[in-house]
Amino acid sequence: MSRLVDWARRSSPWLLHFNSGSCNGCDIEILAALMPRFDLERFGALLKGSPRHADVLVCTGPVTRQQAPRLRRIYEQMPEPKFVMVVGTCGSTGGVFRGCYNAAEGIDTVIPVDVYVPGCPARPEAIALGAVKLLEKLKNAQKQARGEK
Amino acid sequence: MVLDIFLGILQIVLFPGIVFCIGLTFLLEWIDRKYYADLQNRMGPLYVGWRGILQPFADFIKLMAKEDITPKAADRRLFTATPFFSVAVPLLALLFIPITNVTGVLSFQGDLIFVLFLTTVIAILIILAGYSSMNRYSSIGAARAGLQLMGYEIPLTLAALTPAMIARSLTITEIVKYQAVAGMSILIFPSMIAFGVFIITLLPELEKIPMDIPEAETELVAGWQTEFSGKKYAFLRLSNNLELLLGAGLAVTLFLGGPYGIEKLPGLTALDLAIQANIVLSTVWYTAWFLIKTAIVVLIITNLRALFSRYRIDQMVRGAWKYLTPLMIGITAITMLLSAAVPGLYPIV
Repeated sequence: MSRLVDWARRSSPWLLHFNSGSCNGCDIEILAALMPRFDLERFGALLKGSPRHADVLVCTGPVTRQQAPRLRRIYEQMPEPKFVMVVGTCGSTGGVFRGCYNAAEGIDTVIPVDVYVPGCPARPEAIALGAVKLLEKLKNAQKQARGEK
Repeated sequence: MVLDIFLGILQIVLFPGIVFCIGLTFLLEWIDRKYYADLQNRMGPLYVGWRGILQPFADFIKLMAKEDITPKAADRRLFTATPFFSVAVPLLALLFIPITNVTGVLSFQGDLIFVLFLTTVIAILIILAGYSSMNRYSSIGAARAGLQLMGYEIPLTLAALTPAMIARSLTITEIVKYQAVAGMSILIFPSMIAFGVFIITLLPELEKIPMDIPEAETELVAGWQTEFSGKKYAFLRLSNNLELLLGAGLAVTLFLGGPYGIEKLPGLTALDLAIQANIVLSTVWYTAWFLIKTAIVVLIITNLRALFSRYRIDQMVRGAWKYLTPLMIGITAITMLLSAAVPGLYPIV
């Protein structure tokens, strides 16, 4: 039974897209990853509107001071098990906004992050690779939890 | 006696009842998603099972295993109850649809009215689900669902009643049997227009894209479903799929000749007799034809979903009251006039 659940979790990662103060470059690339050429739906990914329905929070941007509580609240609204994928250099490290008075230094200063996709903006191939890496990481974690190598 | 009860329970639970119908809805959702992706030049689900055929099943299992959040503000009892009822009601209605046989699992005199009533109950459950979650988006979604119901309910019912008037019966079985003699009712004069109206009014009933106003993702997050997560959302999705199967099944039963296949064509009487003589063969044959026809209806709905963009709520309600309702009242009048004035037009079976 737990194997079936693990398989189902690996097979249908539903995305929620959140912009925490990004310049919109990465957001356009995320949409490009969902479009015909790369089509993340082949892994079962669907873009969802409500945080209650999503499994993977796809974030962009360095988290401005105004967006930080909102990002945290959206993360808390998602049901467990949930994963966070950061797209873009700003989201990973703060990027050009590093040291700014009004921005945090990356998403991981606010919420825990599972996968980073660097790039300014990150290319859609990279985002697709990031999604695959996330699923692989999940698979390994599931194997470890069951005590397999 | 005991065997009869046992067989009846088996029919309701296993085939062609609950388990079979749920499996069929997963298949139809896969067909829908795959064809939708194809129309948009995408691949669609690809890696879960053969060409992603297990994708809807995986989605369902994943949602069932997810955390189930009930918001503090929500009406706890109603919030928990509505998803379960919204699965149970279409399942009950599906038992009246003839799938493996000319008669459904359940059948009584005038059951078409009962099935149409159940489709309205589903819409009312949607309104309750929206209001019980006490979320602003959900409330607006529920209000829109109610407004839509006002719009599509009358044309939908009149469109479903047109073949019933032609067959002179409100029993689903009688309508199917009539079509076996007189031909599919989509080929009979006013009924073909009724079929078009039926498909158009199915879209708001199923909340498919040109009429998905209550859950309008760009405006209302997820409409009346916003607060539902985990098991409850899994049940709501399943309920929507069951409604799709129910709507497509009703269209097949009323307009496309039900589970009958090519054996009713003139000149194939030998095949017809051979099928009717063997119960296993007839079950497989009828189920296969029902599946093919349902898939065709689902593909029509998917095509409309890919072709159009969302209407505003006022456009939808105005369109329904200005064009669809008068059109359907006219068609009802024409059908009654024709069946009274031209005696041979709709043969009495």
